[in-house]
Amino acid sequence: MRISLSWLGKYIDLPADTDKLIQTLTFSGIEVEAVEKLPALPESVVTAKVISASRIPETDHLMVCQVEYGGSQATQVVCGAPNCHAGMISVLALPGTELPQLTIKSARLKGVESHGMLCSERELGVSDNHAGIIELDPDTPVGVSVNGIYELPDAVLELEITPNRSDLLGYLGIARDLSASLGLPLKMPEIKPVEGEPCADTKLELILEDSQKCPRYTARLLSGVTLKDSPQWLKTALVKSRLRPINNLVDVTNYVMLETGHPLHAFDYDKLLPLQAEDGHPAIVVRKARSGEEFLALDGKSYQLDENDLVIADGQRASALAGVIGGKDTAISDSTRKIVLEAASFEPMTIRSTSYKHKISTDSAYRFERQLSPSVTAQASDRAVELLLETAGGKVCHAIYDAYPEPERPRCLALRPRRFTELIGYPLESEQIITYLEALGCKFLQYGTWQEKPVYDPQQIHCHHLEEQKAGKTEFTEIDCDHALYFQIPHYRVDLTREADLIEELARLDGYDKIPRKKAVQRIMDRHAHRVRREIEDHFVQAGFYEMLNYSFSDPEQLTAINFPPNEAESKLLRLVNPQSSNQSAMRVSLLPQLLANLNYNLNHGERDLKVMEMGKLYWKDGNSYREPLHLTALLTGKIGPGHWQDKPADIGFFHVKGIAESLLDKLGLQIASSCEDQQPWLTAADNLAFYCADTLCACLGRLKSEIAEKAGIDIHNLKQDIWVLDVEVENLIGLTRDSQPRFVPLPRYPAVTRDISFVIDLTVPYAKIAAAIEAVDPRLISSVSVFDEYRGKQVPTGQRSLSLRLMLQDKEKTLTDERVEQVVASVLKMLESTWQIQMR
Amino acid sequence: MKEKLKEVAAQAQTDIAACSSINDLLNAKARYLGKKSLVSNLYGQLRELPEADRPAFGQLLNELKADVEKMLKQRELELKQAGREQQDLSGFQDLSLPGIYPARGALHPLTLVRRQIEDVFIGLGFEIAEGPDIDDEFHNFDALNTPEDHPSRNLADTFYLENGYLLRTQTSTVQVRTMEKYAPPIYIISPGRCYRNDKPDPSHSPVFHQVEALVVDKGISMADLKDTLQNFAQIMFGQEVRSRIRPHFFPFTEPSAEIDISCVNCQGQGCRVCKNSGWLELGGAGMVDPNVFKILGIDPEIYSGYALGVGVERIAMLKYNIPDMRILFENDVRMLRQFSGVLQ
Repeated sequence: MRISLSWLGKYIDLPADTDKLIQTLTFSGIEVEAVEKLPALPESVVTAKVISASRIPETDHLMVCQVEYGGSQATQVVCGAPNCHAGMISVLALPGTELPQLTIKSARLKGVESHGMLCSERELGVSDNHAGIIELDPDTPVGVSVNGIYELPDAVLELEITPNRSDLLGYLGIARDLSASLGLPLKMPEIKPVEGEPCADTKLELILEDSQKCPRYTARLLSGVTLKDSPQWLKTALVKSRLRPINNLVDVTNYVMLETGHPLHAFDYDKLLPLQAEDGHPAIVVRKARSGEEFLALDGKSYQLDENDLVIADGQRASALAGVIGGKDTAISDSTRKIVLEAASFEPMTIRSTSYKHKISTDSAYRFERQLSPSVTAQASDRAVELLLETAGGKVCHAIYDAYPEPERPRCLALRPRRFTELIGYPLESEQIITYLEALGCKFLQYGTWQEKPVYDPQQIHCHHLEEQKAGKTEFTEIDCDHALYFQIPHYRVDLTREADLIEELARLDGYDKIPRKKAVQRIMDRHAHRVRREIEDHFVQAGFYEMLNYSFSDPEQLTAINFPPNEAESKLLRLVNPQSSNQSAMRVSLLPQLLANLNYNLNHGERDLKVMEMGKLYWKDGNSYREPLHLTALLTGKIGPGHWQDKPADIGFFHVKGIAESLLDKLGLQIASSCEDQQPWLTAADNLAFYCADTLCACLGRLKSEIAEKAGIDIHNLKQDIWVLDVEVENLIGLTRDSQPRFVPLPRYPAVTRDISFVIDLTVPYAKIAAAIEAVDPRLISSVSVFDEYRGKQVPTGQRSLSLRLMLQDKEKTLTDERVEQVVASVLKMLESTWQIQMR
Repeated sequence: MKEKLKEVAAQAQTDIAACSSINDLLNAKARYLGKKSLVSNLYGQLRELPEADRPAFGQLLNELKADVEKMLKQRELELKQAGREQQDLSGFQDLSLPGIYPARGALHPLTLVRRQIEDVFIGLGFEIAEGPDIDDEFHNFDALNTPEDHPSRNLADTFYLENGYLLRTQTSTVQVRTMEKYAPPIYIISPGRCYRNDKPDPSHSPVFHQVEALVVDKGISMADLKDTLQNFAQIMFGQEVRSRIRPHFFPFTEPSAEIDISCVNCQGQGCRVCKNSGWLELGGAGMVDPNVFKILGIDPEIYSGYALGVGVERIAMLKYNIPDMRILFENDVRMLRQFSGVLQ
């Protein structure tokens, strides 16, 4: 729903800061979906009178106009609007004016000079109407700013009204809600109901046949009305709500709908047929449509109705589809002198199904689809009568015709302040509760014993407290009834039917930001560490490892046996005062000795292919304190996988172990580099490698020295298998992966091209170095380098090897041409030749 | 002419029945239905008949054609069926041979049980809190209301380190550390290693694992403890398991209790495992002693809480029918292999 602030400001003093207003609306439950700012127009946009307008020869629509804009000032303007004519008052933008969409300059069109522009409402930015130039009241003074006419500056808010709040479908409802949330007074228009005069010749017969679908139908007769253009204030108001002004009679009904939220309809009295063709008065019958009944609507279309539709008929035919759209036959026209003003309330389901079935969506149907209170009906009617008399003259015939078989009874609800505290989480004083609810139009009645159901007769509110008082007791330390406040609910708040509804109103008005946060549980857990640890354990299990769990103790002797540096051992070892045995006399500083013992145990029990690991804490001295870093060590020996009848598994080799480490680090999303610099004293010099992420050690691996296996009791000579060791710095991996998330990279839009190259190169040049050098040749185009073959043998000289690499090339901006690909490959080869003297194969 | 038709039909039947391959059948089809076939010729002769006889003969001819087509189709099916039965066996696969397993390992049963316990409590809204294995007397004894002269502080019961620290005898140390650092509401479990100077035997180990739960909040009572306990017992051991608490004494809880579950071996009927009592002891529990709260600066008039602790080894042994705790620390791959199929 569109709400113009300048209009809204008539009912309540709005805060000067629009952002604050938007904030207030949003946090009181009225979502502001969009804000359209209508800035003030420059002084060079003025009202102007078109003195003369004549067609420019050889053009089909251009007119040259002499335009007067105040005092003696006049200018010549070329205008192409179809409604441009001499004598009209329009709006002139003088040269140099900056309008929202364009800047006005003096120009020459078809040889005719033009010094300014006559504007449409769209060009001024006040509406989307661009059918012609603005035509103002003939008595509008010339040469004045249009800001006053269009009430600029202004802002129009697009509000989303939730379906339960039918009371917010008009300006008054929004103003009322704002007054409650801002604590500001309302300036409601004072509506004086007009009594009406006796009119012998103008009477209406009103028959309400279906009070289920139409709980209330009111009609008023006005005679002697003059149909004309609406006054400018009315047009301005409609235009900002995106309604097109039509004539004063229709515009008033629309204006009152926007103001009160209650749709109205006006019939031409003289077009309504009587029930008896000859002598009767025009009639209005509210009835179900007849099956197959034809109805010609205001939109010019004819509709086939059925018994589920409700119609407002005259004596003979359907004159309106109730609450949805009026009929063409009884519509207001130039000849209209008497009108019937309808204000009625309809059952929402009927309106919704009719509107849906016939695919007619109107402002009226939008409002009636929500429950509107029948009590608003008469008020809307009175307001419209007042404005009709003001803008169209005439007189009111008779009092209001009002078919209202079962008038609404005022509803009272009980609210327990204790319940607010329980539901919302903090207490609200009774006085504050009364202030808020009265600002919404509720009336505080009295204290009473709580009742769940609405009370329609305030006499039935029972208060134990008051009874006691009546019985002569005057002092109460505590109210011993379930203390509740009783409120009478205003008729327009059809959504307030239970205590919970009132509590919601209070919470909303006091502000959800006031609700304290009640901590359910302290967050203590390191969820990241927990997840990474399980991820690492699972990685090894999926790679075929069995998990070992050993005591946290170690034997200092065994550290010597694995070549653990004696200085390090001395500085780290935490010794027990009361160990159970010498081989459990200190806390462990390495998982390796116990895992070697596990390996030996299992080898002795007939297992030959073993992959075992332990993840556990190491314990070491750190000055006067100590540390307990989490560590993982894995041992591998024998075949890589389980044997199978189809093919024999390979012996575990360096690249298997490297792959286990690499795939783990890869899974954790780490960018790693490897280094052979570090020498673990228990690994052979030739096959050991460490992985780093930045400067942090992640993992190291290699082949166990055979003498260390022997010292652990393993008969390495008979075993004839290598033992491989992989250490994972779990603590470092947890730290490195904290807060890391993969970021989606948009997929390449152009195809990739692959090229394979094979060459012979010195054995000692590392592949990683070659790959990096290749990528550096053209980092923009070379997206990856991978190796798919290594060959050493007869066809390659000793000390050299043949490498086959696959390059993937991709351009993010365009499809690569063959030519460009060849260029890149040529420069890669040239680089390889000059750096390492390779030979192509 | 009718005679001629009958003759052709009979001949076709014999010929088609004699076809021994699809190829033969194709030749037969050409012979009877092809462009210059017997049937086509008959259609050609239609024009030579008197106008009045043509419709009747034409209909007979159409019937003949349909009959031959049907015979061909029938024979084709027969031939195909026969062909399938004499298939070439070179591509035959023995589908009963074992599949190729990806490598398979296993977590240690103690890890499996620890994870299961963690997940039960995480699901109940608890947080996991951890602390060091090496701790001091304050966190292990003093803060837990243990008297200075309590026997558990002895060298015979507790391992001490040269630097004055000790190895925690229960993960209650983490409760203390959590209450030092965080204000209530606290809902934690603390899984971890504990140490007691016991010689390894079927039901003891100097190194063992515990999970303790601690709740500190407003309005916590033993009724909350009972509910958590029953939830825990059922999720870990099955819907039919019952739990109970019995009065006991611990320095850090008041009232204190021991936790029993109905015997998972005999469903409470009484057997060797439960020593005919129908119940198995699972751990200890109780309401946090007001002294513990006071030591840690929590007002026992505002907050209350419960603690419960269970042994991971004990649960693993009951759940997986492991008779001797030492088996858990042997790390025999043949034992571990039995747990490669455990769902967590």
